[in-house]
Amino acid sequence: MIKLALPAGDLRAPLADLLAGAGLRVEGYGEGSRSYRLAVRGRSASGGVTVRVFREKDIPIQIALGNYDLGVCSIAWVREMQVKFPEQPLVPLFDLKLGPAQIYAGAALSAVTGLPGLASLATVRIASDYPNLAEAFARAARLPAYRIQAVWGAAEAYPPEDADVAVIAAAGEDHLRDHGLTPLFCLLESSAWLIANAGALARKDLGPVLGPLVSGGAANGGAANGGGVLRLPPPLAAAARGPLPAPGRAAVRLAVPDGHQQRHAVEALRAAGLELPGYGESPALRRPPSPLPGVEVKVIRPHDMPQLIATGELDLAITGRDCLNEHLYSFPASPVEEVIDLQRGQYNLSAVVSADLPAGTIDEALDLWRSAGRAAVRIAAEFPATADHYARSRHFWRYQIIPIAGASEGFVPEDADLLIEGTETGKTLAENKLKVIDLLYRSTTCVIARKDSRPGPVLKQLLGALRRAAGAAPGV
Amino acid sequence: MSESMRCRGMTDMLPEDTMRFRRVEEAFRQVCLGWGYAEVRTPTLERLHLFTAAGTLSPQMLERVYSFLDWDGWSGERVVLRPDSTIPAARLYTERLAGLPAAKLCYVQNVFRFAQGDESREDWQCGVELIGDTQPQGDVELILMACETLQALGLSAGVKLSDPGILRAILVKGGFSLPEQIRLYDRVLDGDLAALGEVQERVPGLSPSLSGLLTVEGEATEYLDNLRSALVTEVPEIARPLDELSAVSRVLTQIGVSHRIAPLLVRNFEYYTGPVFHLDVAGRKVGGGGRYDALISLVGGDTVPASGFALEIDQIAALLTAEAAPEQAAVNIVCAAANGLDLGAAFALALALRAAGRRVAVMAGASGSSRHRAVLAGRQVVVAGGEFILSGDGGKERRLTRVADVVRAVAGSASGG
Repeated sequence: MIKLALPAGDLRAPLADLLAGAGLRVEGYGEGSRSYRLAVRGRSASGGVTVRVFREKDIPIQIALGNYDLGVCSIAWVREMQVKFPEQPLVPLFDLKLGPAQIYAGAALSAVTGLPGLASLATVRIASDYPNLAEAFARAARLPAYRIQAVWGAAEAYPPEDADVAVIAAAGEDHLRDHGLTPLFCLLESSAWLIANAGALARKDLGPVLGPLVSGGAANGGAANGGGVLRLPPPLAAAARGPLPAPGRAAVRLAVPDGHQQRHAVEALRAAGLELPGYGESPALRRPPSPLPGVEVKVIRPHDMPQLIATGELDLAITGRDCLNEHLYSFPASPVEEVIDLQRGQYNLSAVVSADLPAGTIDEALDLWRSAGRAAVRIAAEFPATADHYARSRHFWRYQIIPIAGASEGFVPEDADLLIEGTETGKTLAENKLKVIDLLYRSTTCVIARKDSRPGPVLKQLLGALRRAAGAAPGV
Repeated sequence: MSESMRCRGMTDMLPEDTMRFRRVEEAFRQVCLGWGYAEVRTPTLERLHLFTAAGTLSPQMLERVYSFLDWDGWSGERVVLRPDSTIPAARLYTERLAGLPAAKLCYVQNVFRFAQGDESREDWQCGVELIGDTQPQGDVELILMACETLQALGLSAGVKLSDPGILRAILVKGGFSLPEQIRLYDRVLDGDLAALGEVQERVPGLSPSLSGLLTVEGEATEYLDNLRSALVTEVPEIARPLDELSAVSRVLTQIGVSHRIAPLLVRNFEYYTGPVFHLDVAGRKVGGGGRYDALISLVGGDTVPASGFALEIDQIAALLTAEAAPEQAAVNIVCAAANGLDLGAAFALALALRAAGRRVAVMAGASGSSRHRAVLAGRQVVVAGGEFILSGDGGKERRLTRVADVVRAVAGSASGG
């Protein structure tokens, strides 16, 4: 049985066509089936190929862990892992030439005009959803002081206020300029590659997948053509470093979320009489005009807001308690706190196991796994620090956190024993043969700020309006 | 065998290992105190940026550091498990001791660097930093201190001198960029002589063969004079490193410290700016050091010359195995309480014996387990019903009631009552 990991998202349709062209038609894949486990038509489940759909950035991890033999994902995610963990048993096989993009370092227009200019900044703030590539960039350039902001998305929206440089995937330099960024350095020509687990490649017959792809012409590029090779900048000549930016600014800065929190934030803002033109649309405007004078609004991922509040870049943010707690479990001394519970977007953050596991509590489940001789409990979680805190506080003994980007329902039982997962009605869980075994906490949409913030009149007005909206929420 | 619970690359020190470790540490400390050095310690965690600027750690070393976000690292600025002790010492000097005409510091501490497979990832070092304007006598002093430490442990060290400035001057002359210089330097150190050929091609006027000249190990200052004659016309910048090296070599020769001169020696540290040295014992590298005149200013201090060295404790301790038996830590006297009620009296006796300088152990249950007894090989005093029972030669028992009498009987002096 060959285990193949395929990506969700934009690659689905072109990859399904490519696979079908090679005689590997994956039922439901190109059509965007909601199911995470798919079958390859014409190949029996026993001797053939089993397919599971993951979020793209989780695929190199799954291949390296050996849970899957082969996978397809952007080479950028492979390099993101390899640059930090070069020993992982993961082999990029060939370029499928799908989903081309470049990974660029781009600077805010006002900050610097070229790579050498970075050396003159007192501290270089780099935002990226490729934090390891960003770190490798900073290290190779020998930046004397830098901070990497690992973000969940929308890194291009960080400069100039919240970062000096963004390391992002872009379709060419013009794409960067559209975001107001000056291209500094291209780290990688990325596209989707077929990758393999080294052990599987060494010991297992992968021919039923490799053969058709190679003979079908999909393997039309390899490492030899220079694609997929990580390039790093030369060390920058030391320059006189500028002063640290002066603290304080005129406007109050508010961040509102995109993604699953967006709907709840739109409703809360409407109830507060603070409608943001363009924010309710998709894709959301990154900087919608403010309804109040003296307020700047920015749309970013809710996960990334606590950090920006902690560093003082933002004054106020609408996020989820899940994102705040994840930040606080990572950085217990952080000065961020919840100031208003908006009473919307409720869900439970739960510990979830396979419905077939004969255990009713987490302790029973732990006993079962231990008596079965399991070396470590595998925990898949979108919030790894939360999962880590949970496992520690419940005395899991030996455990392994598998950070995941989404498509979480498919992980248990094959690729993880336990899932830390948001649950609402339980319908999705039942569909995926899962059940809740423990409750971590109840999350809602909330407003966060610094503990030591001293609100001026504008911030007070904003807080007052949001408090009234919280009181008017349907659940209150 | 099941997988060890110990982390890969980490070492448990057993009592015998720890004793050997202490011998090295103590020999080193005595030498340092004798030369007027003061002991310091720097923290295990440092800010990563101390090590990332050019001229500090090499990129190869940086790829092996253990860095992470601290619990209050929400800003994204990383900390690191100390991968090197010289850079933290430079920071300590800059922040706490700047202004002293010369700082003479020594330390015994560990460094953490990722290594492949089962190779060690935590290494202990005896280090010395001499910060201030002391060239070249400082370099000589350091070499003598390192040799004296090894000598005190019964080891005879071979000394090799070098100066990265020699090859650096040629690479700069060849117009190589900094990353190219580092790559070529590493290739040469790995024994890839083709790299020297590439360098030679980039300096067309340089007719003497670099691979011929630089791979010889010189045995005296004359070798340095030969290098000067062959290279200085085409690469005038080579004169400074050769002069500095000659100054050190000359003094060592005068005081009878035999040494060799190897132009290609150090790797992985970008901070060395002048003479460097390696020490080996029986073909095993046990330490090294050198000048790092630019480092103090790189970590934010004034431009202050400095040099230092480190001895690798694990390497040296391994050489001691056959040379000295570990110190005996066995117990002299076992105070064995016959039951729980006698435990107080047994401990009272133990305290009195400790005050008399004896090594003691307390056992509960007169017989004790056989395993326990095997460890406690000392003379036994059984405490039962308020009496102390001493087993004498030939199985004859003595019964005493006062602690002071027991102490006198078994330890030869009375203490306590």
